[in-house]
Amino acid sequence: MESFVQSVVSGVLTGSLYAMIAVGLTIVFGVMRIINLAHGEMVMLGMFGAYWSYTLLGLDPFLSIVVWAPVMFAAGMLIHRFLLKKIIPKGELNTLLYTAGLSLLIANLALFFWTGDYRTLNLGYAVMPARPFGIAVPIPLAIAFFMAIAISTSLYFLLTQSDVGRAIRATAQNPESAALMGVNVQRIQMITFGLGTALAAAGGVLLVPSLYLFPTVGEVLIVKCFVIVVLGGLGSVPGAIAGGILLGLVESLGAVYVSVAYKDTIGFVLFLLVLLFRPAGLFGVGRS
Amino acid sequence: MALLEVSQLRKDFGGLRAVSDLSFQLKRGEILGLIGPNGAGKTTVFNVITGFLPPTSGRLLLEDESLVGLKPHAVVKKGIARTFQIVKPFRNLSVLENVTLAAFLHEPNRSRAEAKAKATLDRVQLCGKAKANAADLTLSEQKLLEIARALATDPKILFLDEPMSGLNPTEVEVSCELVRRIRQDGITVILIEHHMKAIMNISDRVIVLHHGVKIADGTPQAVVQNRDVITAYLGERAA
Amino acid sequence: MTRLLAAAGILVLLAAPLLTNNSFYQHLMIMVLFWTLLGASWNLLGGYGGQVSFGHAAFLGIGAYVTMIFYLSLGLSPWLGMLAGGIIGALFALPIGLICFRLRGPYFSLATLAVAEIVRLVALNWEQLTAGPMGLLITTLPPISFGGMAINWESKLPFYYLAVALALFAMGLTYLVSRSRLGAYLLAVREDIDCAEAAGIDTVRTRVVALALSAFIVGLAGGFYSLYFRYVDPDAVFAISLSVEMVFIAVVGGLATTPGPIVGALVLVTIAEIFRERFQAGHLIFYGLFMMVVIRYMPEGIWGRLRLLLGRQG
Repeated sequence: MESFVQSVVSGVLTGSLYAMIAVGLTIVFGVMRIINLAHGEMVMLGMFGAYWSYTLLGLDPFLSIVVWAPVMFAAGMLIHRFLLKKIIPKGELNTLLYTAGLSLLIANLALFFWTGDYRTLNLGYAVMPARPFGIAVPIPLAIAFFMAIAISTSLYFLLTQSDVGRAIRATAQNPESAALMGVNVQRIQMITFGLGTALAAAGGVLLVPSLYLFPTVGEVLIVKCFVIVVLGGLGSVPGAIAGGILLGLVESLGAVYVSVAYKDTIGFVLFLLVLLFRPAGLFGVGRS
Repeated sequence: MALLEVSQLRKDFGGLRAVSDLSFQLKRGEILGLIGPNGAGKTTVFNVITGFLPPTSGRLLLEDESLVGLKPHAVVKKGIARTFQIVKPFRNLSVLENVTLAAFLHEPNRSRAEAKAKATLDRVQLCGKAKANAADLTLSEQKLLEIARALATDPKILFLDEPMSGLNPTEVEVSCELVRRIRQDGITVILIEHHMKAIMNISDRVIVLHHGVKIADGTPQAVVQNRDVITAYLGERAA
Repeated sequence: MTRLLAAAGILVLLAAPLLTNNSFYQHLMIMVLFWTLLGASWNLLGGYGGQVSFGHAAFLGIGAYVTMIFYLSLGLSPWLGMLAGGIIGALFALPIGLICFRLRGPYFSLATLAVAEIVRLVALNWEQLTAGPMGLLITTLPPISFGGMAINWESKLPFYYLAVALALFAMGLTYLVSRSRLGAYLLAVREDIDCAEAAGIDTVRTRVVALALSAFIVGLAGGFYSLYFRYVDPDAVFAISLSVEMVFIAVVGGLATTPGPIVGALVLVTIAEIFRERFQAGHLIFYGLFMMVVIRYMPEGIWGRLRLLLGRQG
């Protein structure tokens, strides 16, 4: 029983971070109908950003989010403006291949400059886990969890309450009608891509104290992201959040009750089953 | 024996009944017109019979063999070919290649399949464009190309979904002539069409669908005088 | 003209080892041919059929492990093992195809990625069969004689000619398929699946057959890999990056063309291997860069563009 509660807690904590990254992927899909294969590299850049600002400047990684999220937001807008905008009209497969190229380029530039070494970031206050009710909770994961909730809540308000948010949702539903209603679809796509990139990077920043970082870490994370967004329904924000937490739980419970070796396999099998039998996602809210 | 027998065909989309207990027979060698206001379920009937959508219930028999559960390509192999309402040629391939692909169905050898494709293009009078890219054809030529592609599979029945929409009067005349010639070649034709003059002109028999229900079935002359048909098209007052 | 070009190309391939004894260049040429082989087989399904698989590493790994395991535990000659690797790869492709081809476009791509990851994780964890992350090692290769000559597998030369033979086989097969009914059907599938069905084409069978053919060649390539490097582990032969590199070589060289893969491999592998020789990490920078440039400015690929410039079909 204790190990069950323990697994649920760590599953939810990790899952919330997956969820935040996956939300970035899913809003980009929702608005632009593209699957951004370079999304994992955006997470990786966020991780390295936090790592360097801590190592070189001593900036606490959790604080550094106020630097890296806006920087990556701008970077995402620029990537859309100068790279993707011309590619998207060429069709979804071309866009998929293009973002695959972008992904490989960024990962390998990172390898070139930072080498393939595995690094860790050790925080002084994060050595011992907190033990509320006898359950071990790693402090960095707990902080990240609460920050992820705060970020997701602000995103929710941004999407539902602001003009930009409404325009984003309108474009996701129907770009032609949105354009007819006076929405500048190109601008909204650019903002959305910036937002998606910023969310990925923020996820990276929050993950860095809890995960090894290396230039090709994005490859592992993007694959998890696909699983999550497909589980939740491509294009659905609540779906991605639920899918993220579900995957976190599947991984942590799978490790205890199935096998450590095959815990990742469960996620993929689930992924295939959902793709085949419930292409709109487990909760039936996405579009396929 | 009817060539094609449709009985109690039903198709639901979620809670919406698109086709409701439709039954009709298609006799060998006839030209049957399928008409009805927009949203009457005509294209859905085509999609179900040609295997693009599974029926909710009902029977489909081609020469006493069931078509239910067959994939579209298997339906084609049984002898039912179709065209699409919105033309869908293989845009990046040549006109000849478009038709050759279909001719391959019964002729695995490339040069013989190409010869057959050329002959088929001749039948629709598109031979002069064999080398052109399908995307570069005019709309009426693309419609002819689709018909040629369907003919190249040696169908017993040809399903034409609005072959005349968007054509000018001369092209409509050419198209009518083509449909008659196809029937003379022994192919049974069923077509959806909104061009009333054309359909009255070439059909032996007309079926009218309204909200997925068959409301009339008879000669063109009988159907246009049917009270339900007039109501369906023009509303209560006009009838 | 096309034949002349092809003959000249083959002659150059056969004569190339006479130019150098440098083992780096020999290795480079072998790698170019190895990737030509992979690019060509991916091109069959991805280029002609428009089905972008991100999971071909699964077949490479299966071919490599089958060859290794048959040799190490059953004593089967690795040359037969290579063939067995191809065949088992193709057999694996059948259920994979039947599952994944229910999906279209990017969804198909994601599904293949997931399948390949599942296969990798199984290889990593099924330790009785694969020795898990430790990998398998061949210490000696049995000698064979060819036309009375004993072949010395310690040198790179026999591998070079084996690679030439395999790459030519893959390109020849691509050429034959492109002229056949299967090739025509694949083009139809790439253009529009509904329309292809309406033309009487069994689109699922067409794609599954193409995938199986493609998997067969990739399986052979896996066997070649295991013999050339004499060592396999799951990260070496099942990595996602391998699947991605195959895609890049086929796309950069020119989709749905016979010479495309060799052009793509020549450009990308050469740059990458020289880069790797000079710097330790990041040798795939140019893969990414070329991919982006090709998609943006010449979606028909390098060979496709050359062909347009020369103004003829080939």
